[in-house]
Amino acid sequence: MTLALGRHTFGDDDALMMAIVNRTPDSFFDKGATWAEDAAFARVAEVVAQGAEIVDIGGIKAAPGVEISAAEEKARVVDFVARVRSEWPDLVISVDTWRAEVGAAVCEAGADVLNDAWGGADPELVDVAAQWGAAIICTHTGGVTPRTRPYRIEYDDVVASAIADTVAYAERALAAGVARESIVIDPAHDFGKNTFHSLEVTRRLGEMVATGWPVLVSLSNKDFVGETLGMEVGDRLLGTLAATSVCALAGARIYRVHQVVETRQTVDMVWSIAGRRPPLRAIRGLQ
Amino acid sequence: MNAPVVPMALVPGVLALLPAHASLEDPVAPLRAACLAAVGRLGPRVRVVASGGSGGSGGRVGAALVAAVGAAVVESDETGVLVVGNGSARRTEKAPGHFDARAEDFDAALRTDLASADPALADELWADVAALGELAGRTLAEADLLYDDLPFGVQYWVAVWGTRDGC
Repeated sequence: MTLALGRHTFGDDDALMMAIVNRTPDSFFDKGATWAEDAAFARVAEVVAQGAEIVDIGGIKAAPGVEISAAEEKARVVDFVARVRSEWPDLVISVDTWRAEVGAAVCEAGADVLNDAWGGADPELVDVAAQWGAAIICTHTGGVTPRTRPYRIEYDDVVASAIADTVAYAERALAAGVARESIVIDPAHDFGKNTFHSLEVTRRLGEMVATGWPVLVSLSNKDFVGETLGMEVGDRLLGTLAATSVCALAGARIYRVHQVVETRQTVDMVWSIAGRRPPLRAIRGLQ
Repeated sequence: MNAPVVPMALVPGVLALLPAHASLEDPVAPLRAACLAAVGRLGPRVRVVASGGSGGSGGRVGAALVAAVGAAVVESDETGVLVVGNGSARRTEKAPGHFDARAEDFDAALRTDLASADPALADELWADVAALGELAGRTLAEADLLYDDLPFGVQYWVAVWGTRDGC
């Protein structure tokens, strides 16, 4: 399906890299490396050079911690979005927020996508997306409150729950006036899920793709990878790429990542195995 | 030699020319351009002569080139003839058939008479010459030679006889 992400459109067979850019002092992977605005700006320049189509700018870490007000969140991201918009007009700018108030401010500053990692906690976020012509990412969290960790959450069928909730969210966005091609669903690995849940969602990702809504996966260096392999945060790239391969074969369209180059190579390889992308330059045996 | 009734062209049976084997970056772009230019001079109805006949890989490469220029493959009443064949695939260390010291002389002999090859030696040198009898008595020297190279250790020629540029 064609994707329209704000002012940018992509073809049916495009797989897109969404590079994570944290304007936080405490996110789990980079631990504040891009907290300073200039460092975050340099990170955007780096991932653009690496070929990322999308940056996902976040002002609040997902894990529990100090409460960040909407005013503080806006202070972290709004002007930064405007600066990135001005420097890279062709870049898709996504903002990781669940708050409608923040969503409106970043759209005004030039954001194209609202990445609601908390599954519709603020019901007015879809209205903001519709009003600004932005795309929206509809995630599954099992109904947990933003910035809480999963605790003894159980599902009869985690994939069925992920499909039911994200599709319902997508239809709510559609009803609110968001364009069909601007709605993306995300099973949200680790969010409201234990490691067994995230592994099952990965194994059965094809069922989410079969809904017809484009699927985003956010696998990068997450705990389900770490727990599966016994790896600390800095050592999860190989496990992340293995999970990425499985999701790519199933047809996930957007990959929210820390490591753009490695993920792109992995997805390109799988995309070609799946017959969705020609090899770059094949001559072996064909001379 | 008498002028041919219809123009004739020679192209190599390179499988990378087939649409099914398209890459993001064309590994044979100059060769493809030369082949399309040559086949484009054969008129709207082209008879393809290739080793293994129309179902062989050379025949399929020829048919794909004919289709790519908007012409049709015919069995008779042709406006041009496309011959598919090439020299040795054993010209270099990296060649598909590895290096064979005899290959260079073999290809040099083909240049002066395309139908001169000894079939047994051609077989040993991985040369696709079975269809070149169609070009008996012709030399590359008298052809309009659009391509003459061995980019992968395989000797390719793209040549046209019987037409001039712009015809």
